[in-house]
Amino acid sequence: MATAALIDSAMRLELDGGLDADNKPVVKYKNFAHVKTSSTPDQLYAVANALSGLQVYPLVMITRNDSFAIHS
Amino acid sequence: MAKVLELQFLNQENKTVTIRLDAPIEPVDPAAVNAAMDTVIAQNIFTSSGGNYTSKKGARIVDREVSEIDL
Repeated sequence: MATAALIDSAMRLELDGGLDADNKPVVKYKNFAHVKTSSTPDQLYAVANALSGLQVYPLVMITRNDSFAIHS
Repeated sequence: MAKVLELQFLNQENKTVTIRLDAPIEPVDPAAVNAAMDTVIAQNIFTSSGGNYTSKKGARIVDREVSEIDL
């Protein structure tokens, strides 16, 4: 049976950038690579809120991207 | 012009690693920056080629001014 091994994680913050000239919402993204695969959701949440608190755009969503290697 | 907040940390190899944030809140609140950097170190979720983030090195606002050149 093939197995999946977690090899890499990244975090992406989705930020509310307000409205553009056509009144359409603007979404800003901030990506963080080199996130430890062992990180917990609580840890990501704490860091995301700490960092987003230093910039003007409100934090909308935190996403985590995990990459798995598939082995036979 | 475009301002960027740079948070500089030292990793286990004593090399500088930087987190850059666009659109920093101004004026910058040093206590808030300090607290956020402490959180980054305490939660220890980031790694680098030189290992964990171990200490704060500094923080700064970088202001980039772009002037177009007519060709």
